[in-house]
Amino acid sequence: MTTPRPIRGDLVAAAVLLVVLALVSVLVGVGRLSGADGVELVLVSRLPRTAAALLTGAGLAIAGLIMQTLARNRFVDPMISGSGESAGLGILAMTILAPGASIALKTLAASGAAFVGTALFLVLARRLPPTEPYLVPLFAIVYGGVVGALTTAVAWEADLLQYLSIWTNGEFSAVMQGRYELLWVISALVAVAWWVADRLTILALGRDTAVGLGLNYTVMQQAGLAIVATIAGVSVATVGLIPFVGLVVPALAVRRYGEDVRAVLPIIAAGGAGLVLSCDIVARLLRFPYEVPVGTVLGVVGTAAFIAVLLARPRHA
Amino acid sequence: MTLFPRASTMLAFACAAALLACAPARAVTIDTATGPAEIDTRPDTVAVYDIAAIDTIHALGVPIAGVPDKLYLPQLGDVAGGAVVVGTLFEPDLEALNALAPDLVIVGGRSSRQAGETARVAPTIDMTIDGTHLLAEARARIEAYGALFGREDAAAPLLATLDADIAAARDAADGRGTALVVMTNGPKISVYGPGSRFGWIHNELAIPAAVDDLDAGIHGDAVSFEFIAEADPDWLIVIDRAAAIGSGEQNATQTLDNALVAGTTAWTKGQVIHLPAADLYIGAGGASATARVLEAIAEGFATAQ
Repeated sequence: MTTPRPIRGDLVAAAVLLVVLALVSVLVGVGRLSGADGVELVLVSRLPRTAAALLTGAGLAIAGLIMQTLARNRFVDPMISGSGESAGLGILAMTILAPGASIALKTLAASGAAFVGTALFLVLARRLPPTEPYLVPLFAIVYGGVVGALTTAVAWEADLLQYLSIWTNGEFSAVMQGRYELLWVISALVAVAWWVADRLTILALGRDTAVGLGLNYTVMQQAGLAIVATIAGVSVATVGLIPFVGLVVPALAVRRYGEDVRAVLPIIAAGGAGLVLSCDIVARLLRFPYEVPVGTVLGVVGTAAFIAVLLARPRHA
Repeated sequence: MTLFPRASTMLAFACAAALLACAPARAVTIDTATGPAEIDTRPDTVAVYDIAAIDTIHALGVPIAGVPDKLYLPQLGDVAGGAVVVGTLFEPDLEALNALAPDLVIVGGRSSRQAGETARVAPTIDMTIDGTHLLAEARARIEAYGALFGREDAAAPLLATLDADIAAARDAADGRGTALVVMTNGPKISVYGPGSRFGWIHNELAIPAAVDDLDAGIHGDAVSFEFIAEADPDWLIVIDRAAAIGSGEQNATQTLDNALVAGTTAWTKGQVIHLPAADLYIGAGGASATARVLEAIAEGFATAQ
């Protein structure tokens, strides 16, 4: 492992960058701010959208960090290794069984399904030989694909295929005051992750070491799982499935700053928030005044970043 | 790949031979989406994979032998009763189709890509209706099916009704201001311009578009609610996609009822027209479905303050 880089300076830089991005985000949009309704537009539309992107980005990056800790592999992303797809399946089931259900109930169903789906992934991934680290992401993609295919099959039968695309393609176009507030749950979950950060660091050392150090391994694992599942459920139900953030941001941050969860957690949260917000700004500008789903932008950016992560690895291994 | 040209050449020969064998006087040339096609008139057994075509042919009083599994429009309920299911809108069941042995297969729109498959079983025509000039094409289809099935007598009143409905809708909308066609898809929205699948609302009913440089995307363009606020249309013409496909999801009114849409002229004056979604989205161009859409437009423009 490389020597961890001092983090404080970078954290300040990240905070400044986030403020700048947030300002840009408030200024970018179809409506004109100069008019009499400018202030209302900012309050009703721009600030909620900015907050939604920041919260989702931070949440997904933290979920990725915890997921990577649980799977003991830096190449998994909850959104493309089963959690996101399971959340989608939960919402789909809710749509079929109780179409009139509130968004809170749908979120609950999404989180529950994500919990089960993620737990199953971890159980199966543990059977893979630990000597083959690349097998885990490969299996993750296959697993995510299988859950996704199952969801598609159910949607096909229920004639909800295109409706499903609302959840499988994340975007912030519908975000405004009164339509995104559930995302604030993520800030609480990030706080919880901060609170248990040291225990997550120990968890990453593996069962034997962790138990030897006095950690209640099972409880801690389930707590991590619950955080990942809830973030997946809330974000998928509110803005849809946004890929790669949970993979790229923690993988790069941990390589740069080391494995201490408490130390890297703020920079990972800031990195995820900044990545999603900047991609959403691009998504708003690419075909102005129309919208491109932020999930599509991240698909392009994220694929490039994923390859970078893969190629960069041997140098530090 | 070499098999295909050979098969199609053989099919062409077979068709030509069949045409020569039958009395040529019984053949009629009708306009299809892929150009004019010469077909024997009065096919006895017909399989139809397009909801608009089913709607129009049913309105002409012609029995349909094969239909897709779901017809979406409740008004077509009695068609399903007398017909065999020959697959879905997107995927023909070729075995069922073969067992039915139809004289003619009609595809269109969502099923048009299956024309190659069904043509291996029976002569197939593509009767896709394009949304930019839907009304003209709906008219052409009624005439074509009338000639094809020898039901010109039934086609005439349908054409008269269509013309009257078009005139009524145009009159009602005349001079009432601009409109923006919006589709809600659960919580999200997209807008449709004159070049889109719902372009006929502007092109053929002479309703000015609130945003005239809207991209010509067939599937509409995803926008934020700020877009609607900025466009500030006099009228909102709303299509609820979730309702069109029969899911009981969040409805269009809930989606649009927010602070940004509330500021538009359309919303403050109550000038919001909800179109019968399935008729417009799935049965687009069918004789009775189009009549219901036009009536909703006429009624919408007439009843708002």
